[in-house]
Amino acid sequence: MASTTANPLTSAVVLAAGEGVRLRPLTAKRPKPMLPAGTQPILEYVLDALIDAGVTDIHLIVGYHANRVRSHFGSTYRETPITYHTQTNQLGSGHALMQARDGPSGSFLLVNGDQVIDSEIVEAVSTAHDTTATLSIVEGAEADSYGAVRVAEDEITTLTEQPASGEFRLFNAGVYAFTQQIFETLETLSVDRGELPLTDAIQALIDDETQTVSGVRTDSFWMDATHPWDLLSLARELLGRGWVEPSADNDGCYVADTAHIHPDATLVGPVVVDSDAVIEAGAVVGPYAAIGSSATVGAGTVLRDVVVDTDTTIGPNTTATDLVVGQGCDIGAGLTAAGNPTEVVLNGAVYSDIDLSGVLADRVEIGGGATLEPGTLVGPDATIGDGVVARGRIDGGSEVVR
Amino acid sequence: MCGIVGSIGRGNDTVDVLMDGLRSLEYRGYDSAGIALGPELQVLRKSGELDALTEVVDANDPTGTYGIGHTRWSTHGPPTDANAHPHTDENGRVAVVHNGIIENYAELKRELEAEGITFSSDTDTEVVPHLIAQRLADGVDAETAFHETVDRLEGSYAIAAIIDGEEAIYAARQGSPLVVGVGDSCTYLASDVPAFVEHTRDVIYLEDGQRVRADADGYTIFDDDREPVEVSIETVSYTAEETGKSGYDHYMLKEIHEQPTALRQCFSGRADALEGTISLEEVDEIPQPDAVQFVACGTSYHAALYGASILREMGIPAEAYLASEYALSPPPLSLGTLVVGITQSGETADTLAALRDAQSRGVTTLALTNTVNSTAARECDHAVYIRAGPEIGVAATKTFSSQLVGCNLLAEELVEGQRDLRPLIESLRGLPDDVQSILDSSAAASLVDDYADSDAYFFIGRGTNVAVALEGALKCKEISYEHAEGFPAGELKHGPLALVTPETPVFAVVIGDDERAQKTLGNIKEVQARGAPVIAVTDGESAADEIADETLMIPETSERAAPVLANVQLQLFSYHLADELGRPIDKPRNLAKSVTVE
Repeated sequence: MASTTANPLTSAVVLAAGEGVRLRPLTAKRPKPMLPAGTQPILEYVLDALIDAGVTDIHLIVGYHANRVRSHFGSTYRETPITYHTQTNQLGSGHALMQARDGPSGSFLLVNGDQVIDSEIVEAVSTAHDTTATLSIVEGAEADSYGAVRVAEDEITTLTEQPASGEFRLFNAGVYAFTQQIFETLETLSVDRGELPLTDAIQALIDDETQTVSGVRTDSFWMDATHPWDLLSLARELLGRGWVEPSADNDGCYVADTAHIHPDATLVGPVVVDSDAVIEAGAVVGPYAAIGSSATVGAGTVLRDVVVDTDTTIGPNTTATDLVVGQGCDIGAGLTAAGNPTEVVLNGAVYSDIDLSGVLADRVEIGGGATLEPGTLVGPDATIGDGVVARGRIDGGSEVVR
Repeated sequence: MCGIVGSIGRGNDTVDVLMDGLRSLEYRGYDSAGIALGPELQVLRKSGELDALTEVVDANDPTGTYGIGHTRWSTHGPPTDANAHPHTDENGRVAVVHNGIIENYAELKRELEAEGITFSSDTDTEVVPHLIAQRLADGVDAETAFHETVDRLEGSYAIAAIIDGEEAIYAARQGSPLVVGVGDSCTYLASDVPAFVEHTRDVIYLEDGQRVRADADGYTIFDDDREPVEVSIETVSYTAEETGKSGYDHYMLKEIHEQPTALRQCFSGRADALEGTISLEEVDEIPQPDAVQFVACGTSYHAALYGASILREMGIPAEAYLASEYALSPPPLSLGTLVVGITQSGETADTLAALRDAQSRGVTTLALTNTVNSTAARECDHAVYIRAGPEIGVAATKTFSSQLVGCNLLAEELVEGQRDLRPLIESLRGLPDDVQSILDSSAAASLVDDYADSDAYFFIGRGTNVAVALEGALKCKEISYEHAEGFPAGELKHGPLALVTPETPVFAVVIGDDERAQKTLGNIKEVQARGAPVIAVTDGESAADEIADETLMIPETSERAAPVLANVQLQLFSYHLADELGRPIDKPRNLAKSVTVE
């Protein structure tokens, strides 16, 4: 039985080096942790949870488009110092963690940078940690999509990545605490399959009779985005909980001081409008709309269930639901993008019954009067001409004309 | 210009506090450094970068419970151990660090030498410890000796002194920056806040003429009549870590990448995109000036050229002046003239002198600066902040971009009349993303392979892009040490064309497709005819990208916003060139971040 320690851990390592292949085309120019959870990068939620749980020393592992992370957070976040460790080749989570070998000195927390977590999970793991490794464990039907575990007392006896059988109910929620032993164990493992997953090291610890791996059950909130459309449900969940900035709540409308909302525009909560965003006359925004910093919503435009990232302009008289728009897009007047349950093909896999009108990656330009058929995926810097009816997958940088 | 630190009340941590403080002030100068510790006076100093002093400190393991320190950028005398601060009197009882210039030092030195005192350095500073020692020898107390010495100094200075056996630090400010940090039972002194911000954020910005006595019990601030004065303590918002490199190889690269954030902060809350209006609340009561004179130095002068150019387009007579020329050869001005000083640090001595000259002639002055509560901000009638955040790299990058946006905001606020500013606001709001897109995809680094061994680099442009050409060349020479020049494109054939050869790449800034762009295309052909490779920095509107040998693309935007983008491409080229050549990018030789001597 793991007893609780008085002092929560103060050092944390955050894995933020990965691209997030399944989130393409949104991750063409930034890593998955920098994708929007509502109007903030996912990684901000992760760091918030750590700091709220008492962490005072953050080590960020960066790799894929590392400068995006560095420039956003700089050397501190909420006055907590950040040390960056660069993973030049993405060879798995264990390899990523090894980059922080000279980072924390004693026991430390490890979290994924691409998964929104409640600070309660961090606190639970942090205070319970008195073995070699402590994992947060959640119960759910989706166990076979994650690292499924078996637990005896508080000790983890089995860890299986994405087991084929449906016999597991418990799985690893991705919040860990480790002693320095994890580095020594990682060093004994080889990168022979081209990558070194963290689970190999945890498995080695489970197999080592001199070490103990504990589990801490939690039912606190955590959520990750696996596919582009998951950003919509993530925003929906965060808006529903009011976990958005700015926090001044006005009937579920979270509006930054520097945002400009035309008096004849209508916000339908829950909705968040970030700093310097502009909502023009007659626009109806929400429910469940996240409008990023310096974004513009044109006159008469109707948006529901959308994530609109920083610096994007949506022209007048657009109607869009279930739409994810990246940074710096320029959408002309009168776009129609209505989400109906549809089939989406992504990286060779077919997903059915997805509520998605489309995903626009960064800096997509769309002319006037265009239409997105449900499930359209548009790559970065693509141009879609006036009146085009776009469907399926449109590659980055390409130009589509009627 | 140099950096000063001081600390009292930190016991055995004193050496670490001083060394860390000097480390964060290295941008102010770095050709020698030193510290002095008390109560048993001990001085360690060394020419070279701070690492050289660190070795000396490590070898000697000095102890002390209070002390002062200095990092130097030579003005009087070469960077040698003897000229390094702190300076002492003959008996080693008094140690002094100083930033600025003591203008009457020659006279004081003659007087002291006549009394038989031997000088051991070439510096102007050394008169100070001798004067203090002389007063002490006359039997006056330490505090009086310090006051009487400072009374005799002319010029600009920030001075800190410690005296053997006296558990106190004495300091004075006249014309050079000096701030006091107020901690729990300890007090800090520094030329700039980053030196102690990791220990305290409660800061007193001293006024010229003020003096300080700090001891284990706290501090007292005096005016120049030696009367204690009440001062307000302000809390600064940025933290020490904000000035770290956050994983970048150089501050310069970090600051280049911070430009989207800096530009967003500069613009935030200052424009109403719905109404098409821009308002700078800091200056909304200034009436439209009859004319505007900008005064600035270095990179800020290039921002001034841009600012003057856009004001002229709006019908306001406006000129940019080099501040070092302005104070000594002031141009005529009428009472309706507004004089705008552009200075990142707000402490640039030449710019301050020019602003003071303007103020003495009774006109309104305004500081466009990055540093809240800087001398320029406090002395001018008005201050507009560009909100770029701390900039540590000696080569200015993000502050230049923010200065250009600041010039637009200022011009639109100053000039009355009904204009639909929506297109301008749209383009300025779009700048952060436009800059980000350049950072994501710039080809500048790849040019370095082909052009790193060129004889010289030339930069040309017209209109507001003249400022970009000049700034591109300045950045290139500052950090790569390669010969670089910027010209208005039309000037080439009046002389500089003689320098153009196949070994001198020419960077041509061509925005839009108007007459200026067309004429610049002509200039491109002119230099190509002499065999020079041409790199076009262009939005692709004209045929520049087809004519040029290489292209650095920028997103399409307004004529006002395009210079910011073109400049980012040139920043990246200079950075990668200097990196390839192995230059010390954040600390180029002979240069310092904020030039607080005239």
